[in-house]
Amino acid sequence: MSGLDSLEYARHRGVRLVGLVLVMLAALGVVGAVVFDVPLAEVLSDGLETLASIVTPGYVARSMEMAAPITLAAIGGLYAEKSGVFNIGLEGFMIFGAFFAAAATYFVGAGGAVHAWVGIVISVLLTMGLAVLFAVLLIRYKADQIVAGLGVWFIGLGLVPFTAAVIWGSRNSPRLPGVGRLTVPGLSEIPFLGRVVFDQSPLVWLTVLVAVGAWVFLYRTQYGYWIQAAGENPEALDTAGIDVNRVRYATVIFSGGLAGLGGAVLLAHSSSFIGTGQTMVDGRGWLGIVAYLFGNYNPLGAAAAALLFGGVDMLQGQFQTLNIEASSKLLGLLPYVVVIVVLTGWGKTQVPSSVGEPYESEE
Amino acid sequence: MSSADQSGPRSMADRVAGRLLQATVLERLGIALASVTTAILIGLVIVAAAGYNPILFLNNLIVGALGSERILARTLRLSTFFILTGVAVAIAFRAGVFNIGVQGQFVVGGLFCTVSILWTAPFLPTGTVGGIGLMLIGTVAAAVGGGLYGALPGVLKAYADANEIITTIMLNFIAIGVVSWLLTNPLRAEGSTNVQTERLPDYVGLPPIVFGDSGFSVIGLVLTLALVAVVAIAMTRTGIGYDMVTSGYQAGAAVYSGVDAKRTIVATMTFSGAVAGLASAVYVIMFQGRFIEPASIHTYGYDAIAVSLLAANNPLGVLPAGLLFGGLNSSSSYIQTYSDVPVQLIDGIVGIVIVFVAAPELFRMAAKRAGLGGDDR
Repeated sequence: MSGLDSLEYARHRGVRLVGLVLVMLAALGVVGAVVFDVPLAEVLSDGLETLASIVTPGYVARSMEMAAPITLAAIGGLYAEKSGVFNIGLEGFMIFGAFFAAAATYFVGAGGAVHAWVGIVISVLLTMGLAVLFAVLLIRYKADQIVAGLGVWFIGLGLVPFTAAVIWGSRNSPRLPGVGRLTVPGLSEIPFLGRVVFDQSPLVWLTVLVAVGAWVFLYRTQYGYWIQAAGENPEALDTAGIDVNRVRYATVIFSGGLAGLGGAVLLAHSSSFIGTGQTMVDGRGWLGIVAYLFGNYNPLGAAAAALLFGGVDMLQGQFQTLNIEASSKLLGLLPYVVVIVVLTGWGKTQVPSSVGEPYESEE
Repeated sequence: MSSADQSGPRSMADRVAGRLLQATVLERLGIALASVTTAILIGLVIVAAAGYNPILFLNNLIVGALGSERILARTLRLSTFFILTGVAVAIAFRAGVFNIGVQGQFVVGGLFCTVSILWTAPFLPTGTVGGIGLMLIGTVAAAVGGGLYGALPGVLKAYADANEIITTIMLNFIAIGVVSWLLTNPLRAEGSTNVQTERLPDYVGLPPIVFGDSGFSVIGLVLTLALVAVVAIAMTRTGIGYDMVTSGYQAGAAVYSGVDAKRTIVATMTFSGAVAGLASAVYVIMFQGRFIEPASIHTYGYDAIAVSLLAANNPLGVLPAGLLFGGLNSSSSYIQTYSDVPVQLIDGIVGIVIVFVAAPELFRMAAKRAGLGGDDR
């Protein structure tokens, strides 16, 4: 990346951050206007008060919990796309991840948190196995990436509820153990931070680790550069003697595994697998794609965007506890609306130039 | 294929379209057949692995699609919906735009159709004449509703460069949520415990001619075939259709020859959405006679993607592909009633069909290895 490019990039990032705040304010403003149905001045003063009562430590903690699966899927997706493969099957891999975690936990014993952890590990391994098949199809057999990705989603939507029905006699699983919260004695007493940081799901911390690690790996290691080169300039990478397709296999398998982990985390944070309708994943894989577009292919940016979606998602429950009259059905649509607003504002992202093209080395 | 245009999904669309266009009709047909056969074989293996009898399942699959007059009517009814939604998808894909939002456009179109008929019925005479008038109003309203809902992501793509794959999927979720809310609250039928609108008047509906009262009318099928013919002609023989297809296959050339790319995108999405709306009009008028909880409507709009891909995005090819999907889904109703194999398997098979359709190379290599074809590509 030349100096000029990075300058431009930095400027974009500044615009992005301002935009992020504006989008959040606009979303809150619209919600406020709808909810209170009073003149704007009053909304502003009342609004600030309400804002304080909405953004409680519990709300922030729950938003992070909600953001974790989206973040994981997003990081996987951005790695694949950085290397030149558009993994549009994230939603499908998340569905498989959630289901594999549920089934594994169920068969391992379903007794406690240990079983939930075992379920998560098995789930990641199995989704990575599926991702291997997907990668072979995309890279070896040059399948159309968009169509095959959609196919993964449909297979998830069909086969997962089928298998759930075979196992449990219903598309939903019975109650399963989660991983619980990690509470640090003493520190968890600190106001606000205590609940957000020291009384939090360990999976949220795992997600933070993954996000930071993914950032360091992508921008500070040799292999990270190879990944970027595979997407930006595969010919150069090939000339340098690195197997482009091998790098792409690695990222696609990694992206499938991370999306699977995202699904497993989603399951561990809820009480059972839900296979009706769009399944419990319910569009979070798609939100993941938008999160990394919005975060401009930067793992930390993607995590921030996911947190925004998580926060919007949790507003619903927050309104209910505050007895604010609003249809939960309509409020539940807010994340999808935010996605459209965000995409409209940030449709142009730095797409790696060789995304979607199968690479064939001239031998 | 030009590699000059590198704008992500758009150029990807160019490549898909290019590849599909390059393939000969015969080759496409072979790949489509191979995809479907392989997917069904995998389905049978899954059935066996889950502990059911695969032979019985295969038998149920065939009997459930063609077994009796009543079943055949159901297959044809479902095929009608798959053909119409499949054509809606094909219009967009052919023009290089990914409209994954047909389900949402279907839901919005169906709501427009139902509400327009319910609201205008008191002002029109009852009986056959009024019925035909109301059906025309409902059909136009459905096309307008679906068209507008399709135009929205088109405008966002053309003028704000928002990726239409994601926006249309989000708009599906939004359409289902909002319409579901409308049917739960202001538009719910009085005294009904179900989430649904009032029934359409009795005189609104298509008379069953060959098959008994089965929610299927030959008139609906004939109108569908007529629409497919109109779309096929419009895509190949008219100026706007020509512009759409050239924009899809050769964006650069289209712009150079004076086609307004942005307006073509919006027009394509509007056209595609309008056809999705028409599909819904047939669904409401011929079959449901009211509008129901949109989350419980079968995902015609999503399956339509598979239908269109199987047909190589050719409006005429959508006919056999739509019939196949009608048969598969008809079987799934049969299997639900007469067998204990969970019906979601059919959706899974549809997904597997899509994956295989995406990878023609797989079958080419398989064919080469098996010594078939012989044409070295």
